[in-house]
Amino acid sequence: MTLLRRCLLVALILPGLAQATANVDAPAPAFTAATADGKTVSLADYKGKTVVLEWTNHDCPYVRKHYGSGNMQSQQKAATAQGVVWLQVISSAPGQQGYVDGAGALKLNADRGAAPTATLLDPKGELGKLYGAQTTPHMYVIKADGMLVYKGGIDSIATTRVEDIAKAEPYVTEALAAVAADRKVEKAVTRPYGCSVKYAS
Amino acid sequence: MSLSLRSAFLALLAAPLLALAAPPEAATEHVQARLVSSQAAVAPGQRFTVALEQNIKAHWHTYWLNPGDSGQATSIDWAGAEAGPIQWPTPSIQAIGPIVNYGYEGRPALLVELTVPADARPGSRFQPTAEVRWLVCKDVCIPEQVSLGLDLPVAAQAQSGADAAQIEEWRRAIPQPAPFAVQLKAAPQGMRLSGPTAGVTKAYFFADTWGAVAHSAPQPLRAEGGGWALDLPAGDEPLAAGKPLSGVIALTTAAGEQAWTVSAAMPEGAGKGPGPADLAAPAADAATPAPASDIGLLPALALALLGGLILNLMPCVFPVLSIKALALVREGNHKAEGLAYTAGVLASFLVLAAVLIALRAGGQQVGWGFQFHSPVFVLVVAYLLFLVGLNLSGLFEIGGSFTGIGSGLAARQGLAGSFFTGVLAAVVATPCTAPFMGAALAFALSQPAVVLLAVFLALGLGLALPFLVLAFWPAAQRWLPRPGAWMDRFKQFLAFPMYAAVVWLLWVLAQQAGPDGVALALAGLVLMAFGLWWRHASGASAVGTVAALAGVVLALGMSAWIKPADAAPGTSASAHEAYSAERVAELRGQNKPVFVNLTAAWCISCLVNERVALSRPEVGEAFAKAGVVYLKGDWTREDPKITAVLKAHGRSGVPLYLYYAPGAAEARVLPQILTPGLLVEAVSSAPRSSP
Repeated sequence: MTLLRRCLLVALILPGLAQATANVDAPAPAFTAATADGKTVSLADYKGKTVVLEWTNHDCPYVRKHYGSGNMQSQQKAATAQGVVWLQVISSAPGQQGYVDGAGALKLNADRGAAPTATLLDPKGELGKLYGAQTTPHMYVIKADGMLVYKGGIDSIATTRVEDIAKAEPYVTEALAAVAADRKVEKAVTRPYGCSVKYAS
Repeated sequence: MSLSLRSAFLALLAAPLLALAAPPEAATEHVQARLVSSQAAVAPGQRFTVALEQNIKAHWHTYWLNPGDSGQATSIDWAGAEAGPIQWPTPSIQAIGPIVNYGYEGRPALLVELTVPADARPGSRFQPTAEVRWLVCKDVCIPEQVSLGLDLPVAAQAQSGADAAQIEEWRRAIPQPAPFAVQLKAAPQGMRLSGPTAGVTKAYFFADTWGAVAHSAPQPLRAEGGGWALDLPAGDEPLAAGKPLSGVIALTTAAGEQAWTVSAAMPEGAGKGPGPADLAAPAADAATPAPASDIGLLPALALALLGGLILNLMPCVFPVLSIKALALVREGNHKAEGLAYTAGVLASFLVLAAVLIALRAGGQQVGWGFQFHSPVFVLVVAYLLFLVGLNLSGLFEIGGSFTGIGSGLAARQGLAGSFFTGVLAAVVATPCTAPFMGAALAFALSQPAVVLLAVFLALGLGLALPFLVLAFWPAAQRWLPRPGAWMDRFKQFLAFPMYAAVVWLLWVLAQQAGPDGVALALAGLVLMAFGLWWRHASGASAVGTVAALAGVVLALGMSAWIKPADAAPGTSASAHEAYSAERVAELRGQNKPVFVNLTAAWCISCLVNERVALSRPEVGEAFAKAGVVYLKGDWTREDPKITAVLKAHGRSGVPLYLYYAPGAAEARVLPQILTPGLLVEAVSSAPRSSP
């Protein structure tokens, strides 16, 4: 009976462990992941730099809104020009929408003119689940000292319409500006919007 | 649909102006959408209802007002009419892996109130148009858009349309404001929403905005003050004090599912950060609640009755019953005995239910089988079953002098004997109850006292039923085999299920009280067997009887030495003290560096960290050099104090590693994956303490 209780307890607690580890104003969970160009990177490698994580799925209409309009590419270029490390993360499982191998990911970025520092391949969804990534896009900003300072949407208007980008409040741009100016990020947690991350089900 | 299609067509043919109007229905690849009007003709200034019906391709879904973790709500932009907000039917939960969405499959209908312009001329046409956008998803998501329109004649007198009844039907799926008040308060994991409805077996709260509630987290249901209470784990943007939470509460009772819109404000002073009050208060609340069972009262009663019947076949119960059934075979019809037996069973279950209710009223979180958490209880039941087994084996026959324990009483002649057989059957049935009765008991435990009693009585009645039937229906007795010499052998055989049950109970005891407890229990069994053998060998002499009784009493007395085994998992050899908040405060007061490790025996990464980092010699040296005091908290068993610390650091589980440098205002939270280098760096980078 105690054994059963213990098993139940574990069953109740384990999902909790997987969740809610990426909290704003707490250290961002450490990770190591393979990149599209065959390297391995760790969050620790970027200590001292601001890091942006961008969950993506190139076929998701919400992602297409921001790449089709060039919004995401220009944010990537503006950020990396400031010394920010911008990591795309692809957590789509094989067979699911948005899954690509390393070569596929590199070609997509070349075709779209995307300019992330690197693209992380997460076909098992481990990184996605570690951060609790729910949507594409889902954005995270990690400060130079390893603290998570922003998580949420790319901007404030949850639609697939390109014309809404100009009207929306650009949360990630604002968060990066605050970090650069050593200010507190005003809207540190916002609603992520988009397609669900296509984890293996 | 075909009717309104036809009327739409007729209208199309009849009206000359219609070339300009948008069609009332349109289809995309995944959804057929149509506008349905409650009115055939509208009057100037009239307010009336229209519906947007979505006929969604199988396995695809569109979204509710709050789409959940991803997705997007359907939107309608109206032109040519003043339109109210969308009235949404109660959504359903769409879960894809770890992501939970709220939306619709099948054919949802969203209702909107339209107002005809007051200056519309009778004889003209009312032609509002709607730009409808939705996101439709299965494993992938497609944004779709259609332009729909209505075309209705304006008349001096409004005229109800053929679809008015359909719209009223759809309206029933729209949750209305609840006729009762709900309360909101802060709870360990977030919030607790409660209401007065009794007999709720299933409940779910759909928050209507993002952030306050974690969509993907389970919402444990419990009974509270005759009503229900639902724990809502906080989402990414927890509700601030004074702010309202609103949404739809779906409650399932015996009468079916009913959904209401509700709103309640978080009380002021229940700040969102876990302040000291939060840390101290919810000790009882933090215990894991029993998962709510989702069956209704009547099914629960039926299940309980059936479960009771099945209990008769359990290895622990069957032999007890057989003693009585064999007596019937021998002695014939005894209605009164049947009733006395039933009374014994029911009385036992009533006592159990009463104890449960009392414990619950005392604020304890009890689950079924709570009595088996006591090793002494387990041991006594093991002894009892062993005695019954010895009796069946024929080591002792029960005479009038041998009373005082259940089996003795059970074999006594007459009504008292039957009553105590019932009690014995109920007592030995309890360990077998849980696996068969899980659903009904979980339901009962979350219910008001009356329902709980009813379920327990149904369970008892089920257990008593076969014997009752035998006693009252002589025809059934004919199915029993004829008495004969086989009966003794059968009786002896039945001892073995009893011994098997004893083995199982000793295994349970081993989990609870460790090897010492098992040794004590086995010694008790030997003592009892020895006493009874002496009595048997001496021809049931007075001395022998005294020896037997002494054996039983001694064995029972030994149970007092049984004590629960230590919970210490013993995973690390490093020198550490037990964690307590007071000890941390004391050490920090002395300006000593403190390292806190919150761990659990079942936490694999905790154990890995201890193996590869914490127990490494270089780490021990660094700790010793810096004078670090190592405190370890064990969360193997739920500990509300540790839960509170975890929560204060934004964690819901272990491991959590904290390092308090001397004089530092706050703890440094170390990563969940430790390395020796990281630990050495952490304690060395801090200024040396000056003892």
